[in-house]
Amino acid sequence: MREFFKSARFKVLLGFLALLVGIMIYAVTKGGYSVSAASFVNTVTKPFRIASNSVSMKIESIADKLSNADKYYEENQKLKAQIGELNKQLTEYDDLKEEVEELRKFVVIKEQHPDYIISQPAEVLGYIANDPFKSFTIDKGSAEGIEPFCPVVTAEGLVGITIDVSEHVSTVRTILSPDLSIAAVSSSTNADYGIIEGTVATAENGNTKLIHLDMDNELRVGDLMVTSGNSGLFPKGYAIGSVKSLGYETNGLSACAEIEPCSDITRLGSVVVITDFSGKNNEYGEENTESGEKEDSDEAENIP
Amino acid sequence: MRLKTSRERRILHVKTFFRWLIYYFLIIASFILMTSGTWLKPVLLVPIALCIAMENDLMGSAFTGAFCGFLTDIACGRLFGYNAVLLTVFCVGFSLVFELYLRQRFITYIVMTAAVSFLQCWLDYKFYYEIWDYEDVGRIFTGVTLHVWVYTVIAAVVIYLITRLINHFLMPKVHLTIEEVIQTN
Repeated sequence: MREFFKSARFKVLLGFLALLVGIMIYAVTKGGYSVSAASFVNTVTKPFRIASNSVSMKIESIADKLSNADKYYEENQKLKAQIGELNKQLTEYDDLKEEVEELRKFVVIKEQHPDYIISQPAEVLGYIANDPFKSFTIDKGSAEGIEPFCPVVTAEGLVGITIDVSEHVSTVRTILSPDLSIAAVSSSTNADYGIIEGTVATAENGNTKLIHLDMDNELRVGDLMVTSGNSGLFPKGYAIGSVKSLGYETNGLSACAEIEPCSDITRLGSVVVITDFSGKNNEYGEENTESGEKEDSDEAENIP
Repeated sequence: MRLKTSRERRILHVKTFFRWLIYYFLIIASFILMTSGTWLKPVLLVPIALCIAMENDLMGSAFTGAFCGFLTDIACGRLFGYNAVLLTVFCVGFSLVFELYLRQRFITYIVMTAAVSFLQCWLDYKFYYEIWDYEDVGRIFTGVTLHVWVYTVIAAVVIYLITRLINHFLMPKVHLTIEEVIQTN
C-alpha cells in the first residue's frame, strides 16, 4: 500500500480527482444551466429515455392494475351500470386522440391568458430517480427558448419551475418540493394569502402545503388557491390547487392547509412552459445566478 | 501474463475491447433504466462501477467510476460531478483492496458493495435532505434512502452474475509457465 502512495499512478489519480472537483465547482457556477457534458449526455440519450420511459410507464400501469385488481373489480362492479356506456366510448379513444385532447387543453391556456408566451407542449422524459418531491425532466430546453426559473404548467394548474436547463432537456422542480415557495391567494375570498411550500409528509401523498396563513382566515375545504403573482416569477391568478384540510402550525402562530394540486404531479404526460408573461420580473434569474440555488427558492415569492 | 504469439496478443486486444464495450453498454442501459418510470429504483450504476473495479486495473476503474458517477448525477438530478468524485474514490479503493488484500469472492463483493452503496445513499441523504433541515426529513431516510439501498444491494447480485458472465468469456486468462507457477507458489 505504501508503494502505491509513492507511485506515479497515485499522483495521476490525485490529478484526476482534482479535475473532477474542478468540474464540480464549475458546475456550481453555471447558475441553472447544465454543464456541456451533461447537456451532451442528455441530448444523446434523449430518444432512448423517451422510449424506455414509455415502456416503463406502461409496465407500471399494468402492475398497478394487477396488484389492485380486487379493489378495482369491486369498484368496477359498482360503477359498471352507471358508466358502462361511457367506458365503451372511452376505450375507443386511441393515443392520437388523447394527444389532440391534451394539445387542445394547452390552447385554452393561451386563449385565457393572451399575455403568456408559452413553449410548445413538452413531453415528460422521466422523473428524477428516487426524488421524494417528484422533480422531472422535459424534452424542451434552451433551444426552444426555455430559461431557468420559468413556470411550468398544465391546463389544470401550476406544476413547478425549471431549474436546470440544457439545450434540449430541462429539469423541473415541482410544487411538492420544500425548495420552492410560491405566494398564493384564495380565489374565492381574494384576501387569504399564504405561501405554498411542500413538505416531506405532504409530498408522500402528492400534495403540498399552504403555510403562513392568518389565524382568522376564511378558507374552507375545497377553496381554490391561485398564484398572487407579486414577485414576478409566476403569473398572477394561475390555479395551484384546492384546500384539502385546514390546521394550525405547531408553533401556534399561524394556520396552515394541505393543498391538493390541480394537476396530478405524480403522473404527468406533458406540460407547457410559460417563457414570458406580463409582469414578469426579468431580473430574477440574473439575481439568482449570483446568490445560489437555495436562496433562490426561499425567496421565490413574497407575501405583500 | 505471458503472450507467446502475435495471435495471442491480437485475441487479448479484441477480447479487452469487447469486454469494455459490453461494460459500457451495460452502464448506458442502466442509466436509461434509472431515468424511467416513477417508482423507487436501485442506483444501478454504483454496483456496476464497483463490480467492474473489482476485476479490472486501477486507472480503468477510476475512469469507469467517474463516468458512472456523472451519469448518476444526471439520473438523480444531483450536482454534476458530486457522485463522480465519490464513485472514483470508491472504485479506486475497491480495486486496490481486491488487488492487495481480498480475494474475488461473491460474499466479499456483496458485503463491500452493501457497505459502499449504503455510504453513497447516506451521503446523498445527508447532503441533499438532512442538511436543509426539512420538516419530517427522517421520513425520507426510512421511506426512500433505505429502500433504495436495499434495492441496490439486491440488484448488485444480478449485476455480479452478468459481469461474471462477461468476464468468463472475455477476460484474458493468465498463462504462466511451469517455472512461473513454481515461483509464485
